[in-house]
Amino acid sequence: MLRDVGTAVPFVPAASAALVVLVARHRRRLAATIGVAGVVLALVGSLVALGGFLAQPTTVVVHLGSSWGSLWLDPLSLVLWAFVSGISVIVHRYSVRAMAEEAGYGRFFALLNAMTATILFLVAAADLITLLAAWFLVGVFLYFLLGHDLERPAAGRYALWTKVIYRLGDLPLWLAAIVLFRAYHSISLPVLFARMGADPHATTLGGLSAPALTGILVALAGFARSAQILLHSWLPYTMDGPTPVSALMHAGIVNAAGFLFNRFAPVFEIDGLGLHLALVVGLLSALIGSSLMLIQNDVKRSLGYSTMGQMGFMVMECGLGALPLAVFHLIAHGFFKASSFLSAGDAIGEARAHDGVPPDLVYSAIVARRPTRFPRLPLWIAGSLILVVPVVVFSLAHAAVARHLLFEQGVIVLLFFAWVTGGQALLRAHRLSRANPWKVMGGILVSFVLVVVGYTLVTHVFGSFLEPGAASTRLYRAASLGFVPTGALVAVLALLFAAGWALAVLVGTERLWSWLLARWHAAAMAGYALLTRELYLNDLAGRVADAMVRLSRWLNLVTWWS
Amino acid sequence: MVDLRVLAAACLLPVFPLSALFNQLVEQVRHPAARALAVLGLPEAGAALLEGLPRHTLVRGVVHSPAVVALVLFTSLLYALRALSVREVTLWARLVATSGLSLDWLLVGTGAPARSVELFALAWSVPAALLMVWAGLFSARLGGAYLGLRGGLAARLPRLSWLVALSALALVATPLFPSFFGLLHVVDVLPLSQLWAVLGVLFLWAWATGRFLGHLLFGTPGAGPVADLPVVPASLGVVVLAGLVVLGVLWSGRWTGI
Repeated sequence: MLRDVGTAVPFVPAASAALVVLVARHRRRLAATIGVAGVVLALVGSLVALGGFLAQPTTVVVHLGSSWGSLWLDPLSLVLWAFVSGISVIVHRYSVRAMAEEAGYGRFFALLNAMTATILFLVAAADLITLLAAWFLVGVFLYFLLGHDLERPAAGRYALWTKVIYRLGDLPLWLAAIVLFRAYHSISLPVLFARMGADPHATTLGGLSAPALTGILVALAGFARSAQILLHSWLPYTMDGPTPVSALMHAGIVNAAGFLFNRFAPVFEIDGLGLHLALVVGLLSALIGSSLMLIQNDVKRSLGYSTMGQMGFMVMECGLGALPLAVFHLIAHGFFKASSFLSAGDAIGEARAHDGVPPDLVYSAIVARRPTRFPRLPLWIAGSLILVVPVVVFSLAHAAVARHLLFEQGVIVLLFFAWVTGGQALLRAHRLSRANPWKVMGGILVSFVLVVVGYTLVTHVFGSFLEPGAASTRLYRAASLGFVPTGALVAVLALLFAAGWALAVLVGTERLWSWLLARWHAAAMAGYALLTRELYLNDLAGRVADAMVRLSRWLNLVTWWS
Repeated sequence: MVDLRVLAAACLLPVFPLSALFNQLVEQVRHPAARALAVLGLPEAGAALLEGLPRHTLVRGVVHSPAVVALVLFTSLLYALRALSVREVTLWARLVATSGLSLDWLLVGTGAPARSVELFALAWSVPAALLMVWAGLFSARLGGAYLGLRGGLAARLPRLSWLVALSALALVATPLFPSFFGLLHVVDVLPLSQLWAVLGVLFLWAWATGRFLGHLLFGTPGAGPVADLPVVPASLGVVVLAGLVVLGVLWSGRWTGI
């Protein structure tokens, strides 16, 4: 059953796309019906296939052609099929009404279905050519979806920008495919990974082993698709596309790095160089993306940078060896971001109906950051709770479900981040203090424990499903940096976060704040300018692009156009 | 001493600097259909000329020398870069086709069968020929095929514009068109140290196509009624492009060398 249903799943939305083009291009209702039906059937098929696998857990490779065109029905592709088709159903349903007054309604549904089919082929590709073809086509379809409104040159401009960055990310994947094919003489991914396990030291360019070079190239390909630092500038500007496309992109397409790291997990088990690169790039992207998000005055662009920060965190998880956690993260983030984008219209309507700052204490504490007049817990008690409770809860919860992984470096760093996030949540609770601060803090602590235990259990069950056996230990070992670099990283980050918290607590102290501003005003303004200009990366890219086009014109002139 | 037939082949299956002659030859043909035939025929004539040469000349002789490989890669990069600033459909098609066709020499150098060399040339010349035909239809309706002065053609001439867009994609190695599989074959025969050039070409093609499609599709439609391509010829164009996809998939096994 898994084979039969699984083979049909990606073809259903592809067929519905073709059907829309052939018979319903100018019949709006029929186009929407065919489009929605296609992805609903794909979702049902995905769930049936996933259920079939759970009942009888056997990985299947389906060969559609003699040389390429094969599907790998393993836990990763089945989980992602269900996720992708689920998001696609939501986006399709939303589009039925949201796009009703737009031109090119039929074209829009045909493209949405074609994009869904391509992503389904991508995540289940069992050979290098299917993977490359689907990887390429995602960029092509995204270009046309982002530029759906043909009367807006800005839509075309930003679609082009995305296309160019996507193509930059395609190139390392081509190179990785060639490296793998030359080193192990097969295009089949299962065969390649088996041969790689038998001979992990096949050398390629520059004395690097094939797994090391492939790992780096795969990581680079993922960085472009997941808007990592230096390759991120396209993401916040793609809001000119239709809202459903933004939802699909932020919920699904931008998660490509998480998929790619997981698909090539056997490569990273052998050599962790690509994982180390991912750790650094992901960490920088998370910090810079989140910083840029905070200073935006445009809600949608702010959501764009929020996605960049989340993707940075997801790539960082991959860099720490927690590949299944990255898949869990991308699914959770996907549903959250899809709902954020799809409710943007309601939020705008609500803001128009009720303008002005709501006179709400929670809003004042979180957004306006006005100090409340209610009593708070004593600082030493709050501080102790904020610092101690998260680390105890996370460590105990993790030790209960996966004791064997507790002392792996990747897990320690992840626990550190969990501690920081938990501490941040408790700090917020402390600042929210009401008439009875003990009651508030107690309630928050109980919720916190429940959420952490639930989250830890779910992620570990999910991790065991995606990476059964000793694979997760091997990945954590490969990602390990050694005691000194990990310790230094954790220490620097701890200092950074502690300084941030101290600043957040002391911001209400008028004299100290004035002193800080007077002393660091110039540096703060310079930093602010740098961030508002988005680190000048877009300006630099624009200059380089202009120079290339000028060179092209000059070459045409001197060669007489021949 | 370089065989004169190799030089003649370098004109027809264009390699810099003789690629200028190929471009001039195509440019001198005024009728769009004849121009399309020229783009189809000249590279095939070049491939036929090479077929007549002794095998050792091709494989171990001048064609396989590092200098020629470098020249071929330079040609491909140069013409891809030049396409970046072009907004005239015929000129754009000719430059990108030159960029793609030049890579055929890398196959010749490995001693690939004559059939493969001919098919590889067709993978670029068929979409280029289609673009020449579409450019002629543009000219008949708008007085020229220059996209810089007219935006939003997708709204005014939807069938013709989408045919141009699809043909342009077929020309720049978009999966599942034959040029994609042809390019995979080229990438397979090059040493890793020289792959950057082909990947650079691929990047420039994507950029040039994005700019080209931007000028073609986006913008406010101009005033005045213009008759779009009738349904039957447009369907014929779609059938040809779909046929290219089918052929690409059928030939993929041969071209990917698996």
